[in-house]
Amino acid sequence: MASLNLQTILDKETRKKMIPYMLIAPVIIYYFLFWIFPVLNAIIESFKSIEGVWTLGNYIHIFKDPVFYRALLNTAFLVFFSVTIEFILAFGLALLINTKFKGSSFFLFLAMIPMALPAVAVGAMWSSGLATRGWMNSVLMTFKIVDDAGKIIFLAGGNIASMWLIILIDAWQVIPFVMIILLAGLQGIGAESREAGYIFGGTKFQVLRKITIPMLKPTITTAMILRIISAIQIWLIIVMLFGFNRIPVLLEQVVLNVDELGSDFFERIGMALSVIVALIVSAAAILYLKVSGSFEKEAEK
Amino acid sequence: MATLQLIDLAKRFTKKVWGVRKMDLEVADKEFIVLLGPSGCGKTTTMRMIAGLENVTRGTILLDDRDITDIAPRNRHVSMVFQNYAVWPHMTVFDNIAFSLKLAKLPHDVIKRRVRETADMVRIGELLKRLPGQLSGGQQQRVALARALAVKPKVFLLDEPLSNLDAKLRVNMRTEMKAIHQQTEATSIFVTHDQSEAMSMADRIVIMKDGKIVQIGTPDDVYFRSADMFVAGFIGTPPANFFKVLCSYDSGGIVLKHTHFKLEIDAEKYDKLKEYNRKEIILGVRPEDLLIASEDKAVFSEQILVIEPQGSHQVVALSFEGSIVKMVIPAGIKLNHGDKIGLDFNRERLHFFDKETEKRIILRQHLV
Amino acid sequence: MHRIIKRKLLRSARISSLYIIVAGIGFIIIFPMFFLFSFSFMSDYETYSEWPKPLVPSFRAEFMIDKDAEGYHLHIYNKADGAFAAFGPLFFTRAGEDLENLQKFIKRQANCAITPSGIGEQLDVVDKEGRVEFTLKKEFLANYILFFQVTRDAPAAVMRSLMVAGFTILISLSIGGMAGYAFARYYFKGKNLLKLSVLFVRMFPAVTIAIPMIIILARMGLADQPLGLSFVYSVGQISMNIWITASVFMAIPVSFEEAAMIFGTNRVGAFWHITLPLALPGLAACAMYSFIGSWNEVISAVVLTQFNPTFPVVVYKSLVGTQGQINLVTAGSVAQALPAIIFTLIIRKYILQMWGGVRV
Repeated sequence: MASLNLQTILDKETRKKMIPYMLIAPVIIYYFLFWIFPVLNAIIESFKSIEGVWTLGNYIHIFKDPVFYRALLNTAFLVFFSVTIEFILAFGLALLINTKFKGSSFFLFLAMIPMALPAVAVGAMWSSGLATRGWMNSVLMTFKIVDDAGKIIFLAGGNIASMWLIILIDAWQVIPFVMIILLAGLQGIGAESREAGYIFGGTKFQVLRKITIPMLKPTITTAMILRIISAIQIWLIIVMLFGFNRIPVLLEQVVLNVDELGSDFFERIGMALSVIVALIVSAAAILYLKVSGSFEKEAEK
Repeated sequence: MATLQLIDLAKRFTKKVWGVRKMDLEVADKEFIVLLGPSGCGKTTTMRMIAGLENVTRGTILLDDRDITDIAPRNRHVSMVFQNYAVWPHMTVFDNIAFSLKLAKLPHDVIKRRVRETADMVRIGELLKRLPGQLSGGQQQRVALARALAVKPKVFLLDEPLSNLDAKLRVNMRTEMKAIHQQTEATSIFVTHDQSEAMSMADRIVIMKDGKIVQIGTPDDVYFRSADMFVAGFIGTPPANFFKVLCSYDSGGIVLKHTHFKLEIDAEKYDKLKEYNRKEIILGVRPEDLLIASEDKAVFSEQILVIEPQGSHQVVALSFEGSIVKMVIPAGIKLNHGDKIGLDFNRERLHFFDKETEKRIILRQHLV
Repeated sequence: MHRIIKRKLLRSARISSLYIIVAGIGFIIIFPMFFLFSFSFMSDYETYSEWPKPLVPSFRAEFMIDKDAEGYHLHIYNKADGAFAAFGPLFFTRAGEDLENLQKFIKRQANCAITPSGIGEQLDVVDKEGRVEFTLKKEFLANYILFFQVTRDAPAAVMRSLMVAGFTILISLSIGGMAGYAFARYYFKGKNLLKLSVLFVRMFPAVTIAIPMIIILARMGLADQPLGLSFVYSVGQISMNIWITASVFMAIPVSFEEAAMIFGTNRVGAFWHITLPLALPGLAACAMYSFIGSWNEVISAVVLTQFNPTFPVVVYKSLVGTQGQINLVTAGSVAQALPAIIFTLIIRKYILQMWGGVRV
C-alpha cells in the first residue's frame, strides 16, 4: 500500500533519486541494530557500577591497575614493530611478485594459505612447534644444530623476547594479506608510469621512491590503517602460546575480563577497557593519516 | 644531432614467440621515421628495445656509433611519448616536465627556463601548476610531449601517441607534431598502425609484418611502388584492388586474361612480364586508377553496390566475382546504386605481383 | 657472440637469485604448516615418547615381544633412540583380558590395529623362538577419527558451523550486495562514510560487542543458536561484501544494463537477466569469503555460545583447555583449516581484484 502511495505522490525523478538510498537502507538498519546499538550499550554500561549507578569507577579501577600499563606498553611495542616489519617485507614481496616471473601465480597461491588459516590452527601450529619438546627443537636436534641439553626454551623468554616471537608469528600470517593489498595497488599503477621514470633518467631506486610509492600511497594508507587496527587487537595467539596474564596486551585483558573472569563486575571492566581500546584505535588511525599526510606536503616542497 | 642504427636486431619472448625476428634499419640525423604495421607486427617491441625497456635477444643498437644495446634506459639519451601518456598523476605539470632535469641536477633557473620553453612550444604554458587529473586527454598528451621534448634527447620515440585522441584532435596534433619536429629537428621514431598518419608525417615509412621489415621507403615509394601485396593492400584508403590474371605474350603484345575481362597492355613498357608467359600473376590497381569508361571502351562493366560520398571525392564499391572492388571518382558525377558502369584501367599505373611470392614484379620503368 | 653469452649469464644470474629468494620465502611459508600437518598423523607414542620427535609421521610401527619368568613383554621400536623400548604393561599373559587390554593399548598409543588372536599368533612364535618382531600398519587417519570421537561435540559443532556460515552468507551477501550495487551504479550522500564502515566496525573489540549481544539475542529468542551467531558475524562481513560486490558490479559495464532496458525490460529485469548472471562468479567468490570469515571466527563464538559451540570453539577449547593432546589438536586444526584454505585458493583471483579498487 505504502509503495502505491509513494508512486502517486513522488514524481519519477525523485523516485529515481531514492533508489540508492533504498538499496543502502538495509545496511544502515543492520548496522544500527547489530553494531551501533550494542556498542552504545557497552559504552553506557562501562560507566555504570554493578548496582546500575553512574560512575567512573570502572575506569579508575583500570587506571590504578599496573597490568594495564604493561599491557599498554606491550601493545604499543607490538603494533609499532609488527606493522613496520610487515609493511617492509610485504612491500618487497609485492614488488617481487609484480615482476611476473615464471611461477609467480603459484607463489601467490602459496602466499595466500597463511591468510586462510584459522587463528586456532595457527595457534596449534606454533604451540606444537615452540613447546620445549616441539617440532622446532626436534628439527634443530635432528639436524644436529643443538643437542638435547641445548634445546631452546622458546616460551620462557622475557617480556621483550616473547614479544619478538609474537611479532614474528604475526608477521608469518599477516604479510600475505598486506602483500595482496599492495600487489593489487601495484597492478593498478600500470607499467608505463614506471617505464617513463626509467626513460627520463630514474634509477630503479629513484623510480621506486619518486613514482611507485607516491602513486601507491592510497593503497599503502589503506593497508596500514587496516593493519594498525588489527595489530592493536592481537591477542589470540598470545593466549594460545602463553596463557592469560603472562604477556599482557590490551585485548588479551579485555578477553580475560569479559570471558575468563566473566562476572558482572569484570564484564564492566572489560567494557571500559574496550572503550579505551576503541579510542586508541581511532587515535592511532587518525595519527597515521595525519603523519602520512604531512609527509606528503613535505615532499611537495 | 643523431643517427641511429639497428643491426640484425631480434627479440624472442618465449621459445616459440618472436616479437621481432630481424630488423636492420639506419635512421639518418633529423629524420622522421614511422614504424607502421598491424598490431603484433613487432613495431612497438622494436621501439621498446631502442628505449631500453625490453632486453635484446640478438643484434646491436648504435646511437651516434655508440653501442647502447645493453645500456640502461636512463643513459641512452632517448625520450619517449607513451601510448597512454604515462603522465604521473601525483606530480604537477611542471614537476612532470622537470622530472628528468631535476634528476640530472641542472640548476634551478635552467630547469625553470627549459620547462617554460617546452611548455610554451606545446602550448600548455598556463597549465604548469595543475595536476594531470585536472587536464583533458589532449592536454595530458601535450604534457607527455613537453616532458619528452624538455630532455633534448638524441632520439625522440613516440609510441602510438595519437591513438587515444578523438578524430579531430588527432588530425590537428599530427600537424602540430610535424611542425614541432621541423622546429626541433630531433631524430624521431614514431610507431602507429594508422597508415594515413604514417603517410602524412613520415620522411620514411618502415612497414613491418610478423616481426620483419617488409618495405622501407618514402610515402611515395610505399604507395606507388609497394613492395608486395601486403603493402599494397595495407596502404591507401581504400587500399589497392587485386585481380588474378593469366599473362600471355605473343608477337602482338601482352594480354592479361581474367575470367571476366581481357586487357591488352604495352609490351614495351611492361617488358618484364614476358618472363611470366602462360603464368598466372596478380594485377593490382589503386582505386583512383580505375576509370569510368563508355561502353565501347570499357574493359568490363559491373553494377554499383554502394556509393560512399566523401565530399571532395566519392568511393564507389562494386561487387565483382564475390569480392568487392573499390574505386575513387571525383565528386559531382551523379551515380546511383544499381547503375551499371563500364570500367577501364589507368594503364600507366598498373602493379604486378608474383602469385607465389606475392612480391612485386619490378618492371623496367622503375629501374630508371 | 661474446656479448650474447654475457647477456645470458647476467640474465640467468638474475633469474636464479630471484628464484632463490622465492624458494626461501616459500620454504618459510610451508615449513610450520608442514609440521602442523605432520603432527596430525602421529601416534601418541611418536608424539610423546620419541625425542627428538620424528619430522614426518611413519606409516607403520615395529613391535617386539619376548618373555621371561614373569610373562611376556611388549616393546616398540623407538626411532629416536634407534632401539626397542618397553611399551605398555610391565608384563602380560595369554589371558583373554590381557590380550584385549593390549589391543586397546596398541590402538590408542600407536594407532595400530591388531586383534587379540593376532597377538596370540605372535605369542606362539615367542614360545617357539623366545622372541618375535612384527610390523603393523598405522591407521593413518586415526587422530582425525579420534578427535571427532573424544571431542564429544565435534560432529554437531561442524554442522552448526556450517549453518552459521550459511546464514552469514545469506544475510551479508544480500544486504551487502544491495549496497555494493548502489556503490557501483549511483552517487549518494554518505557514500564515503559507508565505505569506511569496513574500518569502523573493526574499531570496537568484537568480544565486547558480544556481551550486549547476548541480551539482544536472548530477547530475539536466538541466544546460543547458529542464526543468532550469524547476525553478529554479518556485521563485519557486510562491510567487506560491500567492497567486494561493488568492485564486482563495477566491472560490468552499465551499457549492458542499458542495452537490456532498450530491448524491453526494466531496471530490475536488466539486473536479473544481465547483471546478475555476469556477476555470479564474483558473488560466489564473495560468498566463499564470507564463509571463511565465519568459519574461522572464534572469540565471539566463545562468548555467545554455551551448549551449542561452533567447531572453532571446540578446537580452541581442546587446545587452551587441559585435555588436549597435541596430535589430536593438530588433527582438529587441520580439519578446521582445510575448507578455508580450499576456498581461499578458489577465489584467489578475486581477492586480488577486490583490493584493486581500494582507496581510503
